[in-house]
Amino acid sequence: MKVLVPVKRVIDYNVKVRVKADGSGVDLANVKMSMNPFDEIAVEEAIRLKEAGKADEIVVVSIGVKQAQETLRTALAMGADRAILVVAADDVHTDIEPLAVAKILKAVIDAEAPGLVIAGKQAIDNDMNATGQMLAALTGWSQATFASEVGIDGDHAVVTREVDGGLQTIKVKLPAIITADLRLNEPRYASLPNIMKAKKKPLDEKTAADYGVDVTPRLTVVKTSEPPVRQAGIKVGSVDELVAKLKEAGAL
Amino acid sequence: MTFEISYEQRMLVDTVRGFIKDELTPLEEMIEQTGALPDDTARAVFKKSSALGLYGMNIPEEFGGGGLSCLDQMMVEEQFGHTTDILIRRAFGNVYEVLLSCTGAQVDRWLTPAVKGERVCSIAFTEPGAGSDAAGIKTKAVRKGDKWVLSGMKHYISDGSFSDFFVVTAVTDPSKGHRGISMFLVDKGMPGFSLGRDQAMMGIRGTSHLDLHFDEVELTDDHLLGTEGEGLKLALSVLGRVRLAQVAARAIGKSTKILQMTLDHARDRHQFGQSLGDFQMVQQMLADSAIEINAARAALWDCAAQLDAGQDVRTKISALKVQGAETLGRVVDRAVQIYGGMGFSKDLPIERYYRDARIYRIFDGASEVHRSVIAKTMLKGSTSVFDPWSA
Ligand SMILES: Cc1cc2nc3c(=O)[nH]c(=O)nc-3n(C[C@H](O)[C@H](O)[C@H](O)COP(=O)(O)OP(=O)(O)OC[C@H]3O[C@@H](n4cnc5c(N)ncnc54)[C@H](O)[C@@H]3O)c2cc1C
Ligand SMILES: Cc1cc2nc3c(=O)[nH]c(=O)nc-3n(C[C@H](O)[C@H](O)[C@H](O)COP(=O)(O)OP(=O)(O)OC[C@H]3O[C@@H](n4cnc5c(N)ncnc54)[C@H](O)[C@@H]3O)c2cc1C
Repeated sequence: MKVLVPVKRVIDYNVKVRVKADGSGVDLANVKMSMNPFDEIAVEEAIRLKEAGKADEIVVVSIGVKQAQETLRTALAMGADRAILVVAADDVHTDIEPLAVAKILKAVIDAEAPGLVIAGKQAIDNDMNATGQMLAALTGWSQATFASEVGIDGDHAVVTREVDGGLQTIKVKLPAIITADLRLNEPRYASLPNIMKAKKKPLDEKTAADYGVDVTPRLTVVKTSEPPVRQAGIKVGSVDELVAKLKEAGAL
Repeated sequence: MTFEISYEQRMLVDTVRGFIKDELTPLEEMIEQTGALPDDTARAVFKKSSALGLYGMNIPEEFGGGGLSCLDQMMVEEQFGHTTDILIRRAFGNVYEVLLSCTGAQVDRWLTPAVKGERVCSIAFTEPGAGSDAAGIKTKAVRKGDKWVLSGMKHYISDGSFSDFFVVTAVTDPSKGHRGISMFLVDKGMPGFSLGRDQAMMGIRGTSHLDLHFDEVELTDDHLLGTEGEGLKLALSVLGRVRLAQVAARAIGKSTKILQMTLDHARDRHQFGQSLGDFQMVQQMLADSAIEINAARAALWDCAAQLDAGQDVRTKISALKVQGAETLGRVVDRAVQIYGGMGFSKDLPIERYYRDARIYRIFDGASEVHRSVIAKTMLKGSTSVFDPWSA
């Protein structure tokens, strides 16, 4: 079975994010970029399926700027077999919206015919949490989102999902779209030998136009702002004073 | 002419940094408190790191190592500086390049097992009467038939209690001065070889520093490393890269980590109604640390690239040994200052970093010795260390 894993290049989760002075977005100049952590989990899960003999090829896809090939190389160094880069933007500040991404992925699926897609549940930059679901709609495949456990059982996947009330286990027919949640696994580090091997693994370069997908944004960002700074607290001397202050603030 | 970090280098550094952060840093405080890394923890660390190919990365692939170029090696050594001496030894190995001089049966007995981490090696040059003056040693190896008889003592031998074998310098021809010194590979447990006390040190807790006693230890020619009488020449030719890696690069890594922590503290700590970072005198300390780290790393990369190109960089290595060690000394001193009372307290690791940093200016050649080397080279007419146009 071939497994397709879409991976996104995002601002590194350790970076202290700065909003651009004009409020048009987040400043990405000279900022460390990495693979979206949920996508790392997805790549790891695909590798584990391959190691368990349930998958035989892992293809990773990234859609965005040319520099996303570094993200793909990271996935190759972790253990993916082959990569496809779909260049869809020149400027690192351009975010390709989930629907456009899903349409391109649909076209990649048509060409690659994978038996399973494992994506991250969301990207940590815009937190859309939509691509996997949209892709399921476009392909008409089953979806199993927020996976914390994945098993392959013949032509089905058995997926434990993290839902509000607890855990839910569902069985979906393959091919299917799975999106990875935080607790699915702990991604491995790329080993030195695998980093060296990654150089020689194939990386195909395409453009959004090759797939006939229009990536023009449909959404307009009105404003980006820093979260409000937490106000300094005050100390109160007694419960009576606390109650009085809360009333004053209209909280009681 | 730019140093562009390749994605392989970045990935390798990410792996090493991630490994240190997840697997090694959490062990540091326990080692500091107990003074030792338990053997089973050491084995577990080694197992994980060697599975990732992170042990012996400096050794060529043909001998089972990672085959990194000198520049790549310096990049990872810098990251090693983010953790402690003993954890570096167990996770990544101090596999000295001097072992690459092994020939014939020596390869399987000493080199290969050292690269695989099956046997660990220490360098034993220093004696109570001979530190900076490595040619002043008293330990001697005397020819007796087809054997050598080794007698004498060494001290401060790092990792001595864990190591399986030692590279030992000994006088083989007292009439020839520094040209009468040879190197021997000596296994722990050989008759006549005994371990002395573990010298307690100011810092780098967890690493042992042993006295070694050789009482008529019988060695065959198989134990002679390199050519008879060329021990110090061989040491000089290969220890340069060790210095660059284990002192300069690691010191730069330590400085980088310490400055990151200091920046966070300067941002978060408020006094007089403002953050410490708002005081200009604190700003000066932060900026000076950044300037010095930046300069040292640029010099390191330049030197490493030249070493890869096969150029003679001995004077530059001396310069970097001093620059790395002294940058670290200043950066960590400023860190203690900016942390204030917390920098002096044992609740935070800053005071440990301060103690651990001090030895960098002493071992692998004291700053003064390296400065002498630099000055003498320049006075003799070779000025490329500061004037590339003169070479
Ligand atoms: C923690 C630690 C680990 C060590 N690990 C090892 C090891 O694994 N293997 C090993 O063989 N050795 C090891 N050593 C020994 C180390 O290499 C020596 O301490 C070092 O070479 C300095 O020698 P010394 O201590 O005898 O000082 P000395 O040689 O007595 O020098 C003392 C000082 O005198 C000055 N000085 C000396 N010579 C000159 C000169 N020519 N010009 C100007 N000033 C000079 C310098 O200021 C120097 O710091 C270790 C030492 C320590 C403390
Ligand atoms: C061993 C020890 C013994 C002590 N004993 C006592 C004691 O007996 N009684 C007692 O009351 N306290 C005691 N202290 C506390 C000591 O007086 C404080 O640590 C000291 O006043 C510094 O305050 P701080 O640690 O809060 O550092 P901070 O006030 O946070 O200062 C940290 C650093 O910020 C910088 N800085 C701060 N303010 C300014 C400024 N205005 N301009 C420029 N730079 C600035 C300086 O570099 C300073 O070192 C002791 C502390 C130690 C470590």
